[in-house]
Amino acid sequence: MKINYFNPNKDYGTPARLSENLVTLEIDGVEVTVPEGTSVMRAAALADINIPKLCASDNLESFGSCRLCAVEIEGRRGMPASCTTPVDAGMKVTTQNGKLAKLRRNIMELYISDHPLDCLTCPANGNCELQDMAGAVGLREVRYGFEGKNHLDSEKDHSNPYFSFDPSKCIVCSRCVRACEEVQGTFALTIDGRGFDSKVSPSQNEGFMGSECVSCGACVQACPTSTLMEKSVIEMGQPEHSVVTTCAYCGVGCSFKAEMKGDQVVRMVPYKGGDANHGHSCVKGRFAFGYATHKDRITSPMIRNAINEPWQQVSWDEAIDFAANRLKQIQQQYGKDSIGGITSSRCTNEEAYLVQKLVRTAFGNNNTDTCARVCHSPTGYGLKMTLGESAGTQDFDSVMKSDVIIVIGANPTDAHPVFGSLMRRRLRQGAKLIVVDPRHIDLLKTPHLKEAHHLALRPGSNVALINSIAHVIITEGLENNKFITTRCDKDSYQAWRNFIIESSNAPEQAEVITGVSAQAIREAARTFANANNGAIYYGLGVTEHSQGSTMVMGIANLAMITGNIGREGVGVNPLRGQNNVQGSCDMGSFPHELPGYQHVSDPIARTRFEKIWGVTLDDEPGFRIPNMFDSAIAGEFKGLYVQGEDIAQSDPDTQHVEQALRSLDCLIVQDLFLNETAKFAHVLLPGSSFLEKNGTFTNAERRINRVRKVMAPIAGKEDWEITVALSNALGYPMHYNHPSEIMDEIASLTPTFTGVNYDRLEQLGSIQWPCNEQHPSGMPTMHVDDFPIGKGRFSITEYVASDERTNGRFPLYLTTGRILSQYNVGAQTRRTENQLWHDEDLLEIHPHDAEVRGIKENDWLGITSRAGQTVLRARISDRMLPGVVYTTFHHPESGANVITTDNSDWATNCPEYKVTAVQVERVSQPSEWQKNFTNFNQLQLQLLQSSSDMLNSQTEIE
Amino acid sequence: MSHNQLNTLIRMANQIADNNHHYPFEQAVALVCNHLQKFWAKAMKMQIIAYYHNDGSELNPVVTAAIKQLDEHYQTKSTRNAQQSIT
Repeated sequence: MKINYFNPNKDYGTPARLSENLVTLEIDGVEVTVPEGTSVMRAAALADINIPKLCASDNLESFGSCRLCAVEIEGRRGMPASCTTPVDAGMKVTTQNGKLAKLRRNIMELYISDHPLDCLTCPANGNCELQDMAGAVGLREVRYGFEGKNHLDSEKDHSNPYFSFDPSKCIVCSRCVRACEEVQGTFALTIDGRGFDSKVSPSQNEGFMGSECVSCGACVQACPTSTLMEKSVIEMGQPEHSVVTTCAYCGVGCSFKAEMKGDQVVRMVPYKGGDANHGHSCVKGRFAFGYATHKDRITSPMIRNAINEPWQQVSWDEAIDFAANRLKQIQQQYGKDSIGGITSSRCTNEEAYLVQKLVRTAFGNNNTDTCARVCHSPTGYGLKMTLGESAGTQDFDSVMKSDVIIVIGANPTDAHPVFGSLMRRRLRQGAKLIVVDPRHIDLLKTPHLKEAHHLALRPGSNVALINSIAHVIITEGLENNKFITTRCDKDSYQAWRNFIIESSNAPEQAEVITGVSAQAIREAARTFANANNGAIYYGLGVTEHSQGSTMVMGIANLAMITGNIGREGVGVNPLRGQNNVQGSCDMGSFPHELPGYQHVSDPIARTRFEKIWGVTLDDEPGFRIPNMFDSAIAGEFKGLYVQGEDIAQSDPDTQHVEQALRSLDCLIVQDLFLNETAKFAHVLLPGSSFLEKNGTFTNAERRINRVRKVMAPIAGKEDWEITVALSNALGYPMHYNHPSEIMDEIASLTPTFTGVNYDRLEQLGSIQWPCNEQHPSGMPTMHVDDFPIGKGRFSITEYVASDERTNGRFPLYLTTGRILSQYNVGAQTRRTENQLWHDEDLLEIHPHDAEVRGIKENDWLGITSRAGQTVLRARISDRMLPGVVYTTFHHPESGANVITTDNSDWATNCPEYKVTAVQVERVSQPSEWQKNFTNFNQLQLQLLQSSSDMLNSQTEIE
Repeated sequence: MSHNQLNTLIRMANQIADNNHHYPFEQAVALVCNHLQKFWAKAMKMQIIAYYHNDGSELNPVVTAAIKQLDEHYQTKSTRNAQQSIT
């Protein structure tokens, strides 16, 4: 029997082994053929011969501690553990006989002699491996009693908000400890003590909450008993059915099984069959789903004439008609181009597609943009210019073949935690790491990390640094001439080469600009150039600069000169912030591009859309988000439809954004909550969470994954249905019965999606685009033989200093970022227990900068920039360079974006969030903006409350 | 901080030119013109073309030449459209 079938719902005991050499053996008389290196346990499980086990799990290397999996092997002595014994050709294995049965019963008897016999009231009842194994081995009595020394009275640890730790039920199998090490890579757990005193211990005998544990849930999932158990299961009981879906947090796009009781989610369990996460998760996806049923959810459509009036709860029809009429009136008065829409990177592909279609058809203009404008728009521009496609080149698994990994302006262990864990696994195996970041990110603290370079550059100097790395590679003859000659455009390479060898790009010059020593740059450049497989990963620390697009092109140039494109282990890999940034860009959300990155001025593409959509399309790009704001303030742009995006909190220069929003005659916000933008709205359309709808998300590796509805939409409509209703009311009829029909339309118009449909997604699990005739199952690695533009094109990447510079008045640089427990503007995670880890944004300041200002930990600090002022508490930290301060932007009252300026990337207008010149000083009260924010927020909450009060009083009268 | 729409457009256009500064003048002009053509909304282009005609003093020389090309492009397009509508 040659085994090819893999069931993601089954635990095969030990990990799969990849080998071209196949080994045939006999297990209980059945001939089995498996790859060399496979364990006997796994080989047996693949043949559906299930050997009892407790300490083994197929996401962990074998450990051989429980001995329950003992087998007999012909010609070998004793009873070896099948989990630690690799298969051998011709091996004859017996998994069941009287002798083995007796041994297993004895082992189980010992385990149970120190385990509470409260199975009927135990939360794991019905889903307990210990219970299953007791049944499997036929345990009928425990002869030792409980009189002796035992662990039954061990104290429970309830400190973590999501799971409890009950040591009385622990069998010390070490699965949790190994999961924390091997899967998550945090090494927060250990087995403390020896022999009978052995016990699982978070950090140095601390509670889980006080330990280094990051609450990824790997230990909970690994636990074969109820020692580590989700509190939701303790409260609600075991789930009765499950649905596989995709996480709605970061761009990793993890697959989860939503385990349900009726329409209530009991827990989210990472799905082993998910190709992005292979059964791993982080604290957000695993546990922070409670926002979906939070009391703050908007459950009824609402309208009002002005933002200082109370909301009126109305029917869907009334709200949609109100919105449509207002938009029509505005266009009559101010012209066709006076309205626009913003799609969301949090909504599905189908929803983003419909919003941009609504704008281009029913609105009749191209004023559509997306929140990717403020994060990865330079990726779209830079990669299209150089490699010919606006997307990353690899799948996540590719990193496991990388020898040198460069991480630029990204913090994967916080912002893309599941991929961060995979990267850490590769680093433990010996891959070298080069981090380009002003901060000392946690990846640099990876346990067992071998060679690491940290190029701690000054904010705003990325391009000078990447140019100097390329300069070293070219001037020292370390480039890959074969790749350059065969795969790259000759003229653009020659022009670029002439530019890069100029002395202005030498590391000695870069040292002056970046603050990184020339020697460190040279060493990093040589390390990267000499790698067999060198991979580049980057995040918003690259894109959110005035030269964001230039830096992306510099990264692509670097990958091309070193030949690191077109195979596993290499590539250019943008780490997307939100779940569907890639998808929202793919779906034509940008004002200049139709779906599939087809420019609006391309008459052939336009004609195809016009034929299907039945309208004449504008051949000129529309407004980007910042242009919409400027035009609104100028009194020319009057109506905006915002789906699932909180521009008032997330966009830079908050006071400018607020002024623009106040200038609108009609702001329609479609969201789960009364977010900051909705406080300026005239129409509030309640959106649906990812649990309440069908669709697809596309993650950072171009993987299209299904989102499946597990409960009815709380307010009655999935988001795509709302857009359809608005379009119909505006006189442009849309006829869809299900998101699969929207995907069919997308596939018919988008060359890279022609092979994508819901049936195929069901069949394959997920698809990495392009998926078409040439690549019917998708394409994990791009640009293997050529580029979509034929040859790779080098772009000259001259360093141009940002206008935003420090001086005597603003002597420090502020840079912003994310934290593990919170997500983006925090609208979701702030409404979960994740608040316990991060309930306010803090200003991290270097001890030196703090000392000269007399600042102590927790002091209130006024942070002033050219744009505004806000006040945050101090955290003294040496993670940044002196001269650089850092904060997160997860809480609206923090006003992090009150200080960020309107500087932006030259090519895309992506805001320069990462470089703001500021002064920091001790203060005693909130900033003026914060005081105004508090008052406005209170007013808006009252106006929301009064809508409920009004409705209640009307109901009473009736 | 000025948020005057025109000032923003002037700043954006000059920034595009600064980032294409290393190319020979004619190539830089073509790149800037192409960029404006492909990525700017028509209303923004018309506004900066109007500024180019009325004043233009704050524009970088590369931008000035690029906007001249852009203006010519729209004039040609407008003439062509007019002729098409006559025929």
